[in-house]
Amino acid sequence: MSSSTELTEKKVFLLKSLDGVIFEVEESVAVQLEVIRELIEGDCARPFISLYNVTSEILALVIEYCKHHAETCSGGTSATIADEDLKTFDNEFMNVDENILLELCSAADYLDIKSLFELTCRTLASLIKDRTIIEVRKMFNVENDFSVVEEKAVRKEFAWAFK
Amino acid sequence: MHRHQPHPATPITDADAAFLIKRGKKRGNYSCGKCGLPKKGHNCRFTENDKDFSPASTPAAAASSTTVTDSAPVEESVALMSPRSVVRPPPPTRLRRALSFEDISVDDSVVEDVRNKIEPEMELSVDVSGSGMLPGSCLWEVLRRLPPAGLLSAARVCKGWCDITRRFWRAAEEIRLRVPSSAQIGFFGSMLQKCPGLVRLSLKMESDVDATILACIAFSCPNLQSLEIFMSGNSSNRITGDELGRLISEKRCLTSLKMEGCCNLGGFSFSSSSLSTIWLSDLHSLSKMVFNCPNLKEISLSFSRQANDRTDLTTIVDGLGRSCPKLQNIHIASVRLSHSVVLALTAANLRGLRMLSLVLGSEISDASVAAIASSYSNLELLDLSGSSISDSGIGMICNVFAETLSKLLLALCPNITSSGIQFASAQLPHLELIDCGMTICDHNSEILTDEENDEELHKTPNSKLHLAYQKLIIKHSRLKKLSLWGCSGLDALYLNCPELNDLNLNSCGNLHPGRYFNVRAAQSIILKRFL
Repeated sequence: MSSSTELTEKKVFLLKSLDGVIFEVEESVAVQLEVIRELIEGDCARPFISLYNVTSEILALVIEYCKHHAETCSGGTSATIADEDLKTFDNEFMNVDENILLELCSAADYLDIKSLFELTCRTLASLIKDRTIIEVRKMFNVENDFSVVEEKAVRKEFAWAFK
Repeated sequence: MHRHQPHPATPITDADAAFLIKRGKKRGNYSCGKCGLPKKGHNCRFTENDKDFSPASTPAAAASSTTVTDSAPVEESVALMSPRSVVRPPPPTRLRRALSFEDISVDDSVVEDVRNKIEPEMELSVDVSGSGMLPGSCLWEVLRRLPPAGLLSAARVCKGWCDITRRFWRAAEEIRLRVPSSAQIGFFGSMLQKCPGLVRLSLKMESDVDATILACIAFSCPNLQSLEIFMSGNSSNRITGDELGRLISEKRCLTSLKMEGCCNLGGFSFSSSSLSTIWLSDLHSLSKMVFNCPNLKEISLSFSRQANDRTDLTTIVDGLGRSCPKLQNIHIASVRLSHSVVLALTAANLRGLRMLSLVLGSEISDASVAAIASSYSNLELLDLSGSSISDSGIGMICNVFAETLSKLLLALCPNITSSGIQFASAQLPHLELIDCGMTICDHNSEILTDEENDEELHKTPNSKLHLAYQKLIIKHSRLKKLSLWGCSGLDALYLNCPELNDLNLNSCGNLHPGRYFNVRAAQSIILKRFL
């Protein structure tokens, strides 16, 4: 297909992050990013793919995630062991700063990696669940735009019955 | 053993609550909700994968779904994943519980999971993207994974979030809630009022239930189709038969009603043309029980085990047969089941009857089997657990149901022997499930261990002890599930069942690993605590 891929045994693609860092990824990893898969299939993946919404820090994490998933799934281990392994990996992978988590979530959405998107959404949801409203505002960098009267009304409307 | 017999119902876990929101029809978008680009002339790369996006289709979420399909009572006991259409055996410590008409597996780890399939709208993306670090579509996906409590407090974060959560509530079709003992009924009502589109409501009550809750539900949910009220802990259900009857007749869409802890019903008369499924458990001394429900297909009546239950089952079953001609599944668990109840049932001549479960009726005998066999020859499931039928009863079952029966449950039937079970497995080619728990019991050893009487052990001649033990040989091409829990009288088991994937040998104390053989299917067998 492409000249770069003929040289190596495995096809390799180059991904360029927002801040200009270029990552080399194997095809098995790259195709997990739906966006890139489409580009590959359309043969538009040369010389490199620019990802304008993702920083190098996040892209490195995303690639680590995809790599692990690709390796675990293609490995010879049985499905149940692979599942267990992925679960442990996912749990550890989510053990990051919440700002990174937010960026990972949008990156997973942008790059269209379903499993990572699901994982980050779940993790974020469980974080929100355990926090106070003020903490949630801080976490998502959201401002309280309710007036005092509105806030009172909302509090009444959405009172949790069972606390 | 256990006085309180739980309803054959899906377990709702300790998880706070969970609810599902099904796809709601939304009006047209101005720009793509997924990527935010203007929609006109735009071909979104996300759209073709929309379905995969909904968490319901991911394996994890699918496993965590507790949505109970219609006509699918599930045994509460074991929460292992098991294949569909296989009934779970009860745990050895309990008496046999009610049957599963059509089993579905339920993951107990369920449910703090909010699910829906509503696509974020354009205006939403705009609203939200300005206010936080996440793009609108991501935020939507995050928030919809919150449990109800989280969703309520998320509304107070800011206007954009408030708006999103309002939409979730409005679109909610199904809610599962655990109602703690401290719950205030007013808040409960106000929450229900947020969800005018509610179709299915499942409550796990830790607080007492009375007519106020029913009134709230009747007022807030005009389109309710399915209502489940399960009791937990020490909470009591004070709903009377009249109150429940009123709800049933007023709710014209209600098709399914499941309620536990019905000890205060007293007596009732239900009239509904929509109702097709009704499960009531912990019933006690009912003065009258009238079902004017011509479309009723499934009924499960589970009576409390108290000896002073005075319900006249014969009259009730007689009336049931007359007014509900479409019944397909009948489950009655009561110590007052008798041969005359069976005769009343067979006189009803229900043409559609496919699953029959008459549990705990020690007066049900081989004569009752003959009556059932002569009236209902198309049964797919027969559960006569706790009855007095013997091997000759099994013989009749084999003669009549050879072509149809796929599930046979005869747990706690002390009069059947290994040869009866062997005969059933040989004569019923379509069987997929056999439950013969606590049938082949070694009474000698029980007495001995109970009394710890060494002397008696020495007195008992060896030959007699050997007589008590039985062997079981089963060769069956379709059998998937075999339960022999508590068969302490069994000392050897030979199986040749290639499809078998669940074998329960709990408390088979005299069956030693060396004397158990399964040809061919050894790998797929799940051996639970080989004692």
